[in-house]
Amino acid sequence: MERLSVKRAPERDESEMSAAPSSVSTSATLMPSGEPLLSPYEAPDLYDLLFESFVFDVPYWMNVGKTANGPVLDVACGTGRILLRLLEAGVDVDGVDAFPLMLEQLRKKAQARGLEARVYQADMRDFTMPRRYDRAICAFNAFAHCETTDEQIQALLCIREHLEPGGALVLHMSYPSLSLWTDPSGEPVLELRSTHPINGNTLELWDTRYKNIVGQCQRSQMEVRELDAAGNLVDSQRFETTQRWIYRHELELLLRHAGFTRWDIRGGFENEPLERDDQQMLVWAWRD
Amino acid sequence: MNESIATPYVDPALYDVVYSWYHDDLAFYVDLAKASRGPVLEVACGTGRILLPTAAAGVDIDGIDLEPAMIARLKAKAEAVPLKVRVSVADMRDFTMPRRYALITIPFRAFMHLPTTEDQIQALRCIREHLEPEGSLVLNLFYPNHAYIAEHRDQRLPEREFAHPVTGRPVSLWSTQRYDIVRQTLESDREVIETGEGGGNTTHQYRFTLRWVYRFEMELLLRAAGFTRWDVRGGFDGRSLEHPHDEMVWTAWKG
Repeated sequence: MERLSVKRAPERDESEMSAAPSSVSTSATLMPSGEPLLSPYEAPDLYDLLFESFVFDVPYWMNVGKTANGPVLDVACGTGRILLRLLEAGVDVDGVDAFPLMLEQLRKKAQARGLEARVYQADMRDFTMPRRYDRAICAFNAFAHCETTDEQIQALLCIREHLEPGGALVLHMSYPSLSLWTDPSGEPVLELRSTHPINGNTLELWDTRYKNIVGQCQRSQMEVRELDAAGNLVDSQRFETTQRWIYRHELELLLRHAGFTRWDIRGGFENEPLERDDQQMLVWAWRD
Repeated sequence: MNESIATPYVDPALYDVVYSWYHDDLAFYVDLAKASRGPVLEVACGTGRILLPTAAAGVDIDGIDLEPAMIARLKAKAEAVPLKVRVSVADMRDFTMPRRYALITIPFRAFMHLPTTEDQIQALRCIREHLEPEGSLVLNLFYPNHAYIAEHRDQRLPEREFAHPVTGRPVSLWSTQRYDIVRQTLESDREVIETGEGGGNTTHQYRFTLRWVYRFEMELLLRAAGFTRWDVRGGFDGRSLEHPHDEMVWTAWKG
């Protein structure tokens, strides 16, 4: 799979968008009106066609899982891109995800590999598991689906309650870069292109982003286009999702509000320091 | 980079020249103080750009500032009017005043001089303790404008041309802004070029560092300091906060 960098048009005024009150989701103000589309998490087959082959973060999470001194919880485990690999490596891992179809897909994949998956449908802001974990992981910007400060704190509180003393939450969030906000709103961008594993067709993910800078919110309308060898469009599916981005000092305040007293924020999967806005945030927060 | 460049607050006479043209926030803070139902405290009152007109309007106002030189100039200006003022040198993170206030203000982005989250929370806590039960804190901050930063960072740019408030001769203000996006800091180098009587120029330099705060981050800071109710506007005219070029005008109530 090839990550594409696409030349973008000059910046556009964001003035048509407005900020919402802080405790209210900002998503409603971001989109042109029309029928709401499906979430990409309601189409797990397509999700896997696009994302299952992503391995950029896999070694990191394998290490987090294998070095745990107790059970691991994968928060927003999706179709098991990471969870199934951890299971295969013998890690004692449970998973929660809000989307039943994603979990169904995960279970199917587990069965095909002869693995027994313990995964449960639950909202990361409000779940109860029977046991406590040495590590809770939240990968691939899943935490960006908590759209308000209150939701973020609820999720962190709930995750913290599920940690054993000494246990850690390990969270990956992309740092919201300057270019995230200055790249144009409302124009389709080719996000990735891959080959369909069965029929060999080309799959293209086009992302049209609507951004509310002050609301730290990005609404994405995605279109997955399937093209045959001659370049004819044979299928098109559209989805939408919202991501709420978090800055570093803000994230520290969120951790503090959720009761964490000790944390470390690194700038990437090699544990490099966080210094630039084009880096990834890898957050370790311990329950003491 | 010249590390010996001073802050603008060690030369209050120059400070008064540099900001002599700035009045955008004056009516807002003076009117707010006049409408207050009890005593007012201005945090980081400087040389009295806002405090003096407020006191002159008959408001019961105290002031604190970290810089002795600024307070000394404020007092000298008050004496020249003459106007009786109660101002003292104090750190907004750790001060003790004998009374409580109906209104505490931090005008002109002075809150952005606090470098760390801890400093910010300490200041907000200390201020909250000095509020009457119905009292409120009002402060303004710039919203970090990413498009502006991307376009202007690290360039020496003209900021303002204006007439010297005393001599009437032209003064130009230049700035070079360096941004650390992840640390949320802006280091600003300023040059003030004054045209002399014979046409020759005199250049003064100063530097300050500001730590910016995002909207939701500010809410978390207020919450951490014990505030439970707040409101943010996008300008002194009370418009809603919508754009990254808006000025954040915050009000937080003690109760």
